[in-house]
Amino acid sequence: MTIDYNELKKGGFLRQRQKDTFIVRFRSIAGNLTSDQLRKLADLADTYGKGYVHVTTRQGAEIPWVKINDYDNMKKEITNYGLTTGTCGPRIRTVVACPGLEVCQNGLTNSRACAEELDKAFFGRPVPMKTKIGICGCPNSCSKPQENDIGLVGVIDPVLIEDKCIGCGLCERVCPGKAIEMVDGKPVLNRKRCLFEGNCISSCPVDAWEETRRGYLLYVGGKIGRLPVLGKVAAEFLQEDEVIEAVERTISAFERLGQQGERIADTVARVGLDAFKEEINILDIESKSADTGTEQESEVG
Amino acid sequence: MAEFEVAATLDITPDVCPITFVKTKLKLEQLKEGEILEVLLNDGEPIQNVPRSVKGEGHKIVLVEKLDGKYRLLIQRG
Ligand code: SF4
Ligand code: SF4
Repeated sequence: MTIDYNELKKGGFLRQRQKDTFIVRFRSIAGNLTSDQLRKLADLADTYGKGYVHVTTRQGAEIPWVKINDYDNMKKEITNYGLTTGTCGPRIRTVVACPGLEVCQNGLTNSRACAEELDKAFFGRPVPMKTKIGICGCPNSCSKPQENDIGLVGVIDPVLIEDKCIGCGLCERVCPGKAIEMVDGKPVLNRKRCLFEGNCISSCPVDAWEETRRGYLLYVGGKIGRLPVLGKVAAEFLQEDEVIEAVERTISAFERLGQQGERIADTVARVGLDAFKEEINILDIESKSADTGTEQESEVG
Repeated sequence: MAEFEVAATLDITPDVCPITFVKTKLKLEQLKEGEILEVLLNDGEPIQNVPRSVKGEGHKIVLVEKLDGKYRLLIQRG
């Protein structure tokens, strides 16, 4: 039989070191697998593998030691079980996500739900080079979005209501970016240093810090591998309904600007962040959010 | 500022996260609504996390005082 390795890779079947043996990669959505899915993975590992599952760094699960002759049967079972396989090669990979505000005390945005939307919109799409997306619900960055080609970090924007402040100085101490300084008994915020984490908002005993908006920072051009680079901020305070559009534009900017063999990081390094941002036309998305403030609907997304 | 009547005192300067908050939470639960707990805690991680966790649980911080290298919080049970 002739084996189309590319077709197999697309469907999450990776060639293993041993002859005619495969690793089957499954994906999770935002790092969650239901108990039912886990039981089925266990069954598959017993039937086709060696009774164990390898947990990947990108929230996937892999069953190694699958024989090529079992491909058809296993494929059928996977489909019947409603499991989703991963992908590899030049495609949009599994979206890695932290749980976000649904369960995390620090969460500012619903990264879990947003990851689901991103997965629906982009997973498996062919692109010039492998492209990874990561998202998290606050600047703590547990799921490390900055090391992805495209990263999203949940943020909140604080503003001081001076009349309420009792000058206790707590916000100066709790600010992780050391962006707040007490001047004449009142806090002064240096916005250049603000990490948009909102610790001032959540700590102030008299609620003198209030939220003006929340959303996502968009990072582009992160990667790990041999020559790691952290992504750079390409847009601030994208609203939830703008995220898909912004990622779509980032991918198409990469498709236009990227040269053979480049990841987004390489393209950004070659053309410069500003040129890349211009190509995404991020200003267009940003100005919409600036005009409309937090609550209003935006046309994009 | 009016002085507060302190119902109990807790020193969490020897502790690290998450024990700092756990002890504070347990102590607060022993108090009656409206009573004040005095907490001594370190600069750095404890001061970054304890106040917001306390606030998140519905208690009120009524005083923050900086002492030498540490802090004194007065928390009113919510
Ligand atoms: S990144 Fe923030 S929201 Fe996400 S798990 Fe970490 S602390 Fe929680
Ligand atoms: S924590 Fe609140 S009350 Fe205290 S100085 Fe900051 S803004 Fe003022």
